[in-house]
Amino acid sequence: MHPTAHPRSGALLRGLILLAIFLGLAAPAGAFPIFARKYQTSCVTCHTIYPKLNAMGEAFRLNGYRLPKETEDLIKQKPVSLGSEAYKKVWPDAVWPNELPGNAPVAVNVKMANVYTSSTDASGAKTTVHNDFQFPQEVNLFAAGTLGEHMSFMAELTHAENADGSSGTEIEHARLGFESLLGPDHAFNIRIGKFAPNLYAGFQEMWLMTDNGVDSLFNYNPVGFKGGIGLLDDAAGVVSLPARVRGIEAYGVLNHRFFYTFGAMSKIAPGANAPVSGAEALNSTGSPNGNFNNTTHKDVYVRFDYKFGGMGLDGDTDGVKLPPENWRENSFRVGVLALKGNATGVDFLAADANGPVIDPIDGTNPYHQQDTSYTRTGLFASWTFSDLNVFGVYLNGKDTLELRSADNLTLVSTNDRTYKAYFVQADYVIAPPFHVSARFERLTPGDTTVQPLKVSNLNFSYLAAANVKFMLEYNKAEQAGVGTNKSINTVIRAAF
Amino acid sequence: MSKIILFTALGLGAALCVQAGDIHGKVTCKGVRDSADAVVYVAAVPGKTFAPPAAHAKMDQKNLVFIPHVMPVLVGTTVDYLNSDAVLHNVFSPDACCDKFNLGTWPQGQSKSFTFKKECAATLLCKVHPEMEAFVVACPTPYYAVTKADGNYTIPNVPDGSYTVKVWHPKLKATQKTVAVAGATQAAFEIAK
Repeated sequence: MHPTAHPRSGALLRGLILLAIFLGLAAPAGAFPIFARKYQTSCVTCHTIYPKLNAMGEAFRLNGYRLPKETEDLIKQKPVSLGSEAYKKVWPDAVWPNELPGNAPVAVNVKMANVYTSSTDASGAKTTVHNDFQFPQEVNLFAAGTLGEHMSFMAELTHAENADGSSGTEIEHARLGFESLLGPDHAFNIRIGKFAPNLYAGFQEMWLMTDNGVDSLFNYNPVGFKGGIGLLDDAAGVVSLPARVRGIEAYGVLNHRFFYTFGAMSKIAPGANAPVSGAEALNSTGSPNGNFNNTTHKDVYVRFDYKFGGMGLDGDTDGVKLPPENWRENSFRVGVLALKGNATGVDFLAADANGPVIDPIDGTNPYHQQDTSYTRTGLFASWTFSDLNVFGVYLNGKDTLELRSADNLTLVSTNDRTYKAYFVQADYVIAPPFHVSARFERLTPGDTTVQPLKVSNLNFSYLAAANVKFMLEYNKAEQAGVGTNKSINTVIRAAF
Repeated sequence: MSKIILFTALGLGAALCVQAGDIHGKVTCKGVRDSADAVVYVAAVPGKTFAPPAAHAKMDQKNLVFIPHVMPVLVGTTVDYLNSDAVLHNVFSPDACCDKFNLGTWPQGQSKSFTFKKECAATLLCKVHPEMEAFVVACPTPYYAVTKADGNYTIPNVPDGSYTVKVWHPKLKATQKTVAVAGATQAAFEIAK
C-alpha cells in the first residue's frame, strides 16, 4: 500500500469554511437578564456592553452570582425557602435547608445576523456571499442563579443555524458551583460540570464585546493536519485550547486582588474520538470544545493573577476611589496560565505535506496519530485606563506527536511540535451606547514550513438599550498558501 | 378649698402619667428587607418579679405559615398552637433554652400547648413543612414590643427608671443599651448582621 494525498476540492473547501465560520467558532455569548430581574437592576450594572463584564460583573461572577457583601434587601425577588435556616441546628435529623430562586431563573438571547463572506483559496478561486440573512443565527437559553448561601448553577443551551440551513443544538454550559467552602469569603470555591474554565478569565465569552471569538486560541489546529495549521483544520475538531471543558475546578480570590484557579478535565486534546480516515475526518464537524474523551488521562491546568488598582476581584472597594461610570477604572491585571495533557489513545488525522494520508485502494488512513504529551503556557494582561481597555494573551504550545501504523500500532515516528499564538485587543467606550473594538491575532504553527495565520477583527457596537445591541464587525483571517476569509457581520442581539 | 383639691388632683394625675410612661422609637434593621420582627424588651426591673399570665397566648398555623411570625411573651406563659389548615402540622424547637420540645402532629381545628419556663428566644419549626418557622421570645418582664415593617415600636406602661433595654431579631445580631425612662421616652436602635 502506498499512501497518496487527496487533493482538496473547491466544494469541500467552501463547505468547510462555512462550517468553520458558522458552527465551529466560539462566539462570545452570555448575558443573564435573570439577574436583572432578581435584583431589579440594569444590565449595565455588570456589563460594559453585554456580554463584556465590567469590574462589578467580574466580582459578581467570581462570587457565584452574588453581589459583593450581598444582603437580602438587595434581592428583590424573594427566594423560595426549602427549609428554615434553623434546620441547620437539627442536621442530620433533617435535611440541610436551602433556597430556590423566586422565579424561574431562565433567560433568552437571540442573535440575528446579515452576513457577507468572501473566501479565497490558495489558487485564487474566490467565493462571495452577499447579504446572507441568518435570521436567527443563534438562540441561547440560559438558566443561572444561586441555591442558598454556598451553591450556584448555570446552564446554557445553544441552538445555532448555519448558512446552509443546517442547525445544531448543544449544551454549552451545565455546571454547579460551591462557593466560599473554606476560609474567608471567596477564598475557595469549586465548580463541576461543563463550563468555560477560569483558565480563560478575561479573554473569552463574558469578557468579549465582539461577535467573533479569539479563534487563533480556540478554533484552529496548531499542530495536527499538515503538521501545522490551516483554515480548514478546525473541521477535524482540533484545537489549541478547548473553549469549554468537562471538569472540576477550584478557584478563589485572596486578599481581594490575588486570583487563582486549578482544575482537571476530561481530555479535550487534539484528535477525534475514534480512529479516522482522511476523507471522513474532513467531513466531520468541528467543535470549539475539541473532543471530549472518556479515557483515564485528564488534562490539568492552573492560573494565577493579580490585579493592581481598580475594584478588587471580589468587589472590594475599601480605600479605592472609583468613578460613577462603572466601566471606568484605572487598573492592571496580569496572569500566568498553564495546561498540561496526555492524549495517548486518542487518534487523529495523520497527514503529509499535501493533506490527509489516504490509502488509494480502501480509502482508509494507514496511520494512527496521537498527541501523547502537550503543554500550553501563557501570559495574560489587561490594562484599563478610563474608557480604554487593552488586553491580550501570549500562548506557547508544545506537543509530542506519535505516528503509529493502523494495523498493529507500531511506532513509526515521534515528532515534537511547538507553536505560539498571541492576540491583543483594544476596546473603547466612546459613550455608554457607542463602543469600538480592534483585535489582531497571530498564530505561528508548529511546522515552520506552514505560514502563520493572521486574523484582524474590527467592531463597532451600538447599545440601543441595556439589553439590545447592534454590531457591525469586520473579520479577516489569512494564511499564505492556504487562503483568506473575510466577513462583515451586521448583527442585532437581544437579551430578555 | 375646692381649688386646693383640684390642683392636688391635677398634680397627682400628672405624677401618675409620668410614672406610667412608655418607651418608643425605631429599630433600624440593616441588611434585611424591612425592619419588622425585632423584639424590644426591658431586661429587668430591679426588685420586681412578674407572675405569668393565666391566659394562654395563641399562635396559629394557617396556610402553611405560623401567625404571628414573631411573638414575645412573659417567661412562664403558655402558648397554644392551633392548626387551622386541612393538613397535619407539627411544632418543635431545636433550642435548648426551651428543652428542644416536640409537640407531635395534630389535625385541623386542634391545638397543643407549651409553657416557656425560662428566658428564651425559641425557634419553632414544623417537621411536616420545613419552610415554616416562627419565634417565641420569652422575656423576663412584661415590657416588650415587636417592631412593625418601618421599625417603629412602643412599649407601654413602663415605670420610670433606668433599665437595660435589649433588642433581638431572628436574623441580626442582638444589641442592648441603658434607657432612662421618664414618661414618654424615645430610644432608637440599629442592628445588623
